[in-house]
Amino acid sequence: MKYFVTIGAQTIEVEVDGERVLVGGEAVDVHLAPLAGTPLYHLLLGAESWTVAAQPLEEDGRWAMGAVGERVEVTVRDERTRETAALTTAAPGGAAPAVVRAPMPGLVVRVEVADGQRVDAGAGLVVVEAMKMENELRAPRAGMVQTVHVAVGQAVEKGMPLVTLGSPEPQSPQVSAS
Amino acid sequence: MTDIKRVLVANRGEIALRIIRACHEEGMAAVAVYSDVDRLSPHVRAADAAVALGPAAAAESYLDASKLLAAARSTGCQAVHPGYGFLSERAPFAEAVTEAGLVFVGPSAAAIRAMGDKTEARRRMQAAGVPIVPGTTRPLADHAQARPEAARLGYPVLLKAVAGGGGKGMRLVQAEGELESAFEAAQSEAQKAFGAGEVYLEKYLERPRHIEIQVLADSFGRVVALGERECSIQRRHQKLIEEAPSLAVTPALRRRLSDAATAAAGAVGYLSAGTIEFLLAPSGEFFFLEMNTRLQVEHPVTELVYGVDIVREQLRVASGQPLRVHAGTLQPRGHAIECRITAEDPFNDFLPVTGIVQHLRVPGGPGVRWDAGFETGNEVTLHYDSLIAKLIAWGETRVVALERMRRALRELVIVGLPTSQPFHLRVMDDPEFQRGDVDITYLDRAGTRLLSVEARPDLTRPLAIVAALLAEERRSAVVPEQPAARPPDRVSAWLLAARREALGA
Repeated sequence: MKYFVTIGAQTIEVEVDGERVLVGGEAVDVHLAPLAGTPLYHLLLGAESWTVAAQPLEEDGRWAMGAVGERVEVTVRDERTRETAALTTAAPGGAAPAVVRAPMPGLVVRVEVADGQRVDAGAGLVVVEAMKMENELRAPRAGMVQTVHVAVGQAVEKGMPLVTLGSPEPQSPQVSAS
Repeated sequence: MTDIKRVLVANRGEIALRIIRACHEEGMAAVAVYSDVDRLSPHVRAADAAVALGPAAAAESYLDASKLLAAARSTGCQAVHPGYGFLSERAPFAEAVTEAGLVFVGPSAAAIRAMGDKTEARRRMQAAGVPIVPGTTRPLADHAQARPEAARLGYPVLLKAVAGGGGKGMRLVQAEGELESAFEAAQSEAQKAFGAGEVYLEKYLERPRHIEIQVLADSFGRVVALGERECSIQRRHQKLIEEAPSLAVTPALRRRLSDAATAAAGAVGYLSAGTIEFLLAPSGEFFFLEMNTRLQVEHPVTELVYGVDIVREQLRVASGQPLRVHAGTLQPRGHAIECRITAEDPFNDFLPVTGIVQHLRVPGGPGVRWDAGFETGNEVTLHYDSLIAKLIAWGETRVVALERMRRALRELVIVGLPTSQPFHLRVMDDPEFQRGDVDITYLDRAGTRLLSVEARPDLTRPLAIVAALLAEERRSAVVPEQPAARPPDRVSAWLLAARREALGA
């Protein structure tokens, strides 16, 4: 099976065929062993020695991986899921709605935008207080505020939608991602 | 002399464990307290006895003085150590402990009170000959009263809360037009945070360093200064990285700072461990900022370069013994650095995160110290601050200490939630930081540059391979019902090896 692993801006093709592993079509010498009772794996890549921590995230195919003090979120898709994803992804140019969610439970102390407002990438949307700190949630990209889901004083749970951002220009409904 | 056999540790997290360890080394028993969510925290398990306080909310647990005193009484303690935060700088708590016939491990309520009121502290320091940041030494009634004072100091100025701390009730005012609204904002924020809305004015200093002096005082009138800590790497007034000594402090300046610090402590009849914070201007002038009348988060860097156990000294002083610190000239030996490992995502604007520590691998080897409030299986919640642990490295020189810290940060594994760990690695690699070219605006200037650095490029390939092999394993794992559908020659060698080991065979 061929896998497409996305790390940051890079996507790497890894084919696993029985005992053979190919990276970008080139065979590599690999041995992977788990450390029993831990989320740690030891990888021998040729003679290179790597200890890698792997934690599956909620979303299918997403992993948080750690090595040498770094933490990187990784997406793995196999040939089939990649094709399906390509079909459902919105056409280029029409940005799909983005939902900004609460990254942690807390209390909404400020709502900085209103329905229908145009915002730039990085604009403050909602301030949630948690751990004695005020945390401003910002727009991941430019867009039009489609819906503000919360009000000041409201307690929110982790993952709860705060604001839905539509495309910068109002346009006809489109197929959304996922 | 008070014979202290048992100490109530009125705190949680890493500092509670730090104090329990000191008690045990001093031959004292330690009693932990815990809220519902801390039932299995390391400090509870390390203590000789533990008392439940109730709900997670701090007001109903770690901030409830009557519950803490009841716990001390019911377990036969002779002393109470408040740690930092919570009730550690509340004079009424120190008073209540003493009135209950127990020893408060810290200064007198009068000293806490004198230093807690920032304008009173400024007046006392001025009287003791300690330089203070130019500004007012009395609370201001309203913005009209602030206006001529601000004009006299010259903009920019800082409005600060009289009861202040942690940047709350603080406003930077660039020009006169902003004064009125800033005054009201600072006042209402101070009222909310401290229950007291009084504010005063200070001249805003351009790019100072935050330098602080550790002092220890005993009941025999001895006050010693254990040199400085450099704490300029801050984010929203929260320190992230601390070092001792500071590259900006020469032996002559250290003597002057130490003299000012011991004079400051002497002026309030100080007892136990305390810290005098200064701003050090690029010109070499320094100004008293405030005194923290308690043990501080970053105390370990001082311990490592001065060879002194500050918490054990506190316990000795509390039982009426003299300081053990030798009398000769105190000099720092080598260099120490501390990174605060917090449950915050540096790549997402340092937003706090929660989660269970699924796996923890603690760095070891020469010169590395790990003070943590969490172990594998513990949950980071939103009820308390985000500090998971302090990673401290010592080296013969600053360069060695930095190399050691980088090595230790690479060894550290925390699975379950993002932490500040990758941020610290990037600071260790930053040439500006390596040169020691830091002041309190360092992170504002360098933060974006540091966090745009991608993870090491040589990491991509191995991580991609592991991810693909794990995906392959998951895919194969869902079709075991029909072994015939998967010919034996399709099962890869690494998978078999992996399964055997996972089963412990």
